[in-house]
Amino acid sequence: MKNSFDEKILDEANDWIIANQKVVLATVIQTWGSSPRPTGSRMIVNEKGDFSGSVSGGCVESAVVRECLGILKEKKPFKKIEFKISNESAWEVGLACGGEIAIYLEQIN
Amino acid sequence: MQLKTLQEIIKKKENKSEFAIVTNLATGNSEIFEKGKSLSKDFDQFKNQINAIYQSKKNEVIEGTDIFVESYIRPIKVIIVGAVHIAQYLVNFASSLNFEISVIDPRGYFATEQRFPSMKIINKWPDEAFKEIETDSNSALIALTHDPKIDDPALQHAIKKKFYYIGALGSKKTHENRCERLKKSGFSDEQINQIHGPIGIKLGGKAAPEIALSIIAQLVAETYKK
Repeated sequence: MKNSFDEKILDEANDWIIANQKVVLATVIQTWGSSPRPTGSRMIVNEKGDFSGSVSGGCVESAVVRECLGILKEKKPFKKIEFKISNESAWEVGLACGGEIAIYLEQIN
Repeated sequence: MQLKTLQEIIKKKENKSEFAIVTNLATGNSEIFEKGKSLSKDFDQFKNQINAIYQSKKNEVIEGTDIFVESYIRPIKVIIVGAVHIAQYLVNFASSLNFEISVIDPRGYFATEQRFPSMKIINKWPDEAFKEIETDSNSALIALTHDPKIDDPALQHAIKKKFYYIGALGSKKTHENRCERLKKSGFSDEQINQIHGPIGIKLGGKAAPEIALSIIAQLVAETYKK
């Protein structure tokens, strides 16, 4: 059976908007191999770079925040980004688990 | 996503509706899909595939397209009988797991709003209370009073309605007596054995929040067994 383990990120997104913040919604739309979070997992990012929720186990969140700030700056309504397995260089963003994920970023307006 | 769509989604979740969000990843358009309602031109050509994903309660991109479908389903109903100390912790744990909880207790001094703020509390005997809650094989019962007058009618209802999870608090001895009573009432061993008693997985703790944790852990485990 499946239960709707809803993390209430959309409710939080609405609260942020009511508080006059700009919000970008990031959603995991596809996964390949072993990935830390399933399709449909979400996080939100505001124009200050505050974020809530998650799209991985902490592996790519910082890069997602950067991308979200980027689309706010460029006034792009949406963007699709992908992350693959990380190599061993220490500062490279990627998934240590060896999986791949695609994330869809969209501004709420 | 438009703010209007976001707010509509939040409203639908509050009303415990089942629906899906469909997004065109190439244009950025998104809208709400509901059974029996028509979709805009952007999505209408994919309605059969959208419906198939929605029926299987999945989140996925339709193969070979840019259409992402995310399904929202009704949370599982959990009925707690006994507005006791453990129930207060159960309600807290369960809130972050998104179960839809009702608390039944005919004893007015237990079933107070002060003890269970912003909760659905039914201050009635189980037979009466179950007339107000629609239940089926996707429902769960947690019986906590270990008073046969209150627990037994609730357990009987849950067995008859084939709840996927039925748990009852009480020692091994209490549970043996309970099983005897149910047998005398005409329930089969197979039906009676569905009851998790003593309730919860073995964690070792005896404090109210520890017992609540062991119950909620068992409930989640049983949810995914099905």
